[in-house]
Amino acid sequence: MHEERSMSRLRRVVVSAVFFALLTGSPAERARAADKAPDRRFENTNVILVSLQCLRPDHMGIGGYTRNTTPNLDEISRSSVLFQNSISHTNLTPVAMMAALTGQYPRVNGLVTFDVTKDSVSARTMPEILKYYGYSTAAVVTSLEFVMRFDGESGKVIDLRDVFSRSYDDYIWPRRHVGKSMRVLPTESLDWLEKNKTRKFFLWIATGSIHPPYAATVPPAEKTLYDPPGYTPFWTKFFPVSGNEGGPDDPTIDLLLRIWDGEYYQGFKPVYRLTPDDADYIRARYDAGVHYTDGFIGELFNKLRQTGLDKNTVVIFYSIHGKALGERGTFINYDLYEPVLKNLLMVRFPDGQYAGRRISEQVQGIDILPTLLSYLGIPIAADLQGNDLMPLVRGEAGAKGTEYAFIDRMPWWEHWMSRFFLEFKFHDPLRTNHPPSEEEAIVAYAKMLNEAFPLDAYPPGDIAVRTNKWKLIVRKDLRLLNKVSWPRFITGGKRAFTDDTELYDLVADPHEMHNVAAENPKVVEELKAKLLAWDANIEKRKAPYHRAGEKRYLIPYP
Amino acid sequence: MSAHNKKISRREFIKRTALGTGSLAVSLMLPEILPGRAWANVPATFKDCNLVFVSFDALQAAHVGSFGYSRDITPTIDAMAREGFCFSNNISTASWTVPASMSWFTGVYPSEHRLTNKFSVFDPPNNSVLSNLKKLSPELVTLAEILKQNGYVTGGFTGNAGVNGFFGFDQGFDTYFYEKGKFGSMSASIPKGLEWLQANKDKKFFLFLHGYDMHGQNVPAEGFDYRFVDKGYDRRFTGSAAEQEALREEGLEKGAVSMRDEDVRFWRAIYDEKIQRTDAKFRQFTDRLAAMGLLDRTIFVLTSDHGTEFFEHQRIDHGFTLYNELIHTPLIIKLPKVKAGAVIRDQVSSIDVMPTILDLLGVNVPGNAKKQLRGASLVPALRGGAVAKDVFFETDYRQYTYKRGMQTRDGWKLIYTLEDKKRELYNLNDDPKETRNLVKQEARRAYEMEQKLFAHFKAIGHDLFARQWIPGLNPVYDSQAKQAVKKAS
Repeated sequence: MHEERSMSRLRRVVVSAVFFALLTGSPAERARAADKAPDRRFENTNVILVSLQCLRPDHMGIGGYTRNTTPNLDEISRSSVLFQNSISHTNLTPVAMMAALTGQYPRVNGLVTFDVTKDSVSARTMPEILKYYGYSTAAVVTSLEFVMRFDGESGKVIDLRDVFSRSYDDYIWPRRHVGKSMRVLPTESLDWLEKNKTRKFFLWIATGSIHPPYAATVPPAEKTLYDPPGYTPFWTKFFPVSGNEGGPDDPTIDLLLRIWDGEYYQGFKPVYRLTPDDADYIRARYDAGVHYTDGFIGELFNKLRQTGLDKNTVVIFYSIHGKALGERGTFINYDLYEPVLKNLLMVRFPDGQYAGRRISEQVQGIDILPTLLSYLGIPIAADLQGNDLMPLVRGEAGAKGTEYAFIDRMPWWEHWMSRFFLEFKFHDPLRTNHPPSEEEAIVAYAKMLNEAFPLDAYPPGDIAVRTNKWKLIVRKDLRLLNKVSWPRFITGGKRAFTDDTELYDLVADPHEMHNVAAENPKVVEELKAKLLAWDANIEKRKAPYHRAGEKRYLIPYP
Repeated sequence: MSAHNKKISRREFIKRTALGTGSLAVSLMLPEILPGRAWANVPATFKDCNLVFVSFDALQAAHVGSFGYSRDITPTIDAMAREGFCFSNNISTASWTVPASMSWFTGVYPSEHRLTNKFSVFDPPNNSVLSNLKKLSPELVTLAEILKQNGYVTGGFTGNAGVNGFFGFDQGFDTYFYEKGKFGSMSASIPKGLEWLQANKDKKFFLFLHGYDMHGQNVPAEGFDYRFVDKGYDRRFTGSAAEQEALREEGLEKGAVSMRDEDVRFWRAIYDEKIQRTDAKFRQFTDRLAAMGLLDRTIFVLTSDHGTEFFEHQRIDHGFTLYNELIHTPLIIKLPKVKAGAVIRDQVSSIDVMPTILDLLGVNVPGNAKKQLRGASLVPALRGGAVAKDVFFETDYRQYTYKRGMQTRDGWKLIYTLEDKKRELYNLNDDPKETRNLVKQEARRAYEMEQKLFAHFKAIGHDLFARQWIPGLNPVYDSQAKQAVKKAS
């Protein structure tokens, strides 16, 4: 409180000084004062967007975590504005990130699946708008979702230059491996900054280093930093399902998506019940990846300080979505629960302006672009759907966040599986990573998915709305969802969706274990009305999905 | 066609006028009003004067002598311009009759008066509901209603079709003439108007005169004499309404019509003959007013709802684009006992016409009507003041397209097509024919103009994101409704 009051006093002093100069100064002084007017910051302010795919804010020091996983980010937070209640648009990376890059909900910007065409998204993106205003644009990307594209016919990785890489002068994919994983730190960004520090730039640093296989690219000593002593991964006792991304001790997607309700499945049966040590080990490796990535953030800030760029650069940290880490017995981002939806959003304004401000109002990724444009003094495009958060940042009376955060669970997990995972990964004879006993069933499952999700058909999805008290999830097609369900398939039918409407009391039941829709019909009615009204509005603005005869390319990683 | 007969562009004309060079344009004799210079003899008010408001439907500004055209085909209109005020840069709110004309009479944009298509509900064969002002925008007050409240007798004499009474154009008129089923001529509306004037000339009156004589769907009853057609033209076309309709449909279907240079010249020659014949009819009208002794207490406003396209953008007719051959229209204000003869180059909009008239006549404007008006009075311009503004326009055309556009006072123009989000940016100073889309080269300007455009529509309560813009909704004319695919909006 005290800090906020003194801030606003300081602001008043600055404002009156500028005003005084405008009234009384010489023409040159007046011009200089006008130069500092907030509405033309785009003339000399750089922008760095750091996406930290899968980083959970509650696994950071600033989120109250007990392990010292993020000393650098914690330190930077002291000179930054932290949004403590930032909610993802969906549970999967490309779709959630495109919402932030375009300032539009997924169905409106058009990125709703893991199969894309060069031009399937026509919405304007952050770099595109900044380019209009004279920014050099660059990206250094190790989140493979934003760069790797797979041609299903030739089986080759191609350079598609789709919406993610559009509008960049430099779009850098290091293509380095550590072991089998390419989810390395984007250290090339440091060289890029050194070389381009005199230009006005927008730089997107997209690190995939926190994503599974957890800690696969972390150097050995740091990798085992948090491991339970003497632990051996439980999965080494079973058929090795980890395929082409990780090493034997790395928690990979391939094995994480076989853990349901605390049990590990092979041959469509639970073969193992996870112990607390097993869960701790997975979390330890996740945390090691976070710690390693945080070290890079430290280097990045050293570079910004050395070059003086910290004085005229706005740095946005955004983690796109989180990950489940055993809260409900699962370890992936399959559904819309809190560990998946809560993400990191932190903004360091040039020279630490608004330092230390903490904003507890609910916000979403679509707010990032309007907020950035507002700060830079660039007109906010009329087709943006997010809010300008600058009034909240400035602490203006009456400034509000998003009371109702709307969420599209799109595409379904099974939709991207049908497009790449089962078709091309599981069936690659050189990299078979499923038990031979599952072969026949998996082939049939893949065939069923491909029939359920025709190439030209709009993908199905679930919708949800979240307030600080409630989360309502509406399964739009429960029958189809159960038909295609991966958890139902891999658990041999044990796990199924039972309700088309789920209501969780986030305050009383933070792990969302109990669907309380039946007990709260009024709440359901009110939230459902809001959600369906939003949904209808989104349907009106929905971007076209597929043009006849169009070839689509695959984003090959979950 | 000789070189000096070639059509010159509007902007080019304006430049030439300003430089005092160029062709035989009548307007060269007109002094130009410079901002800040008072126009000495314009009285403060024209209270209790009569108003004659004339719409020469489909008259492109560039085909009017006082707007720079080299063929002397508008001597009557030009004579009025020589004594009046000629707004050389007047932009209509729309590119076809219904939306554009209703903006004059309500002072609001088409999106607000909502007469943007022939049907407000289209569900053939039985349930199509014709658009109507009272039904769509019951809160709007019309120019005729205000003048009537102020003691005017009000009479409208029109060529039907786009200004017929069913749409609500008759709202506030004591008498409103239109012959059903026709794109009618001034040959019908002028005699009706004069007959009414004869009976009302001693009262304070507002007369709206309109005719389709220059429009593609009208041919002179007496036929063409092809006075301006190239000698030796092979008569591939004859100038009929059916031919023009077929060309319009061909252009809509294929995106362009196939025309030889001589065909384009032919259609322009036909157009010029229509214009000249209409001007002569209008001469008879003004002569009669003179004979009745009305000129000394009557304000004339001469204008047009939209222009006509003759292959400037590979098509024929109007309504489906927002290029300047369609929205740059003549506007001449002739004040009684004032010999001005001034060209006002400031860019203005047809949305300004109603507030200008109300201002000139000094009538009591009810509060709700004052709030309704989106334009501004141009009267300051008549006294030498600056009135230049950014202008906005739009068209929803049948089942084909939904476009919105703006033009800045310094000559940049953005057209946004809602159904495919296509943007066109033109620098009218360098490219008056709107042929080089600069969206890529001038990305920031296009972006900022787009935001202004959307902000404008939002400010008038028209949320462009509130619906999907799917071609196939609401055709305009019955003959075209047959092929239209009905889709829910």
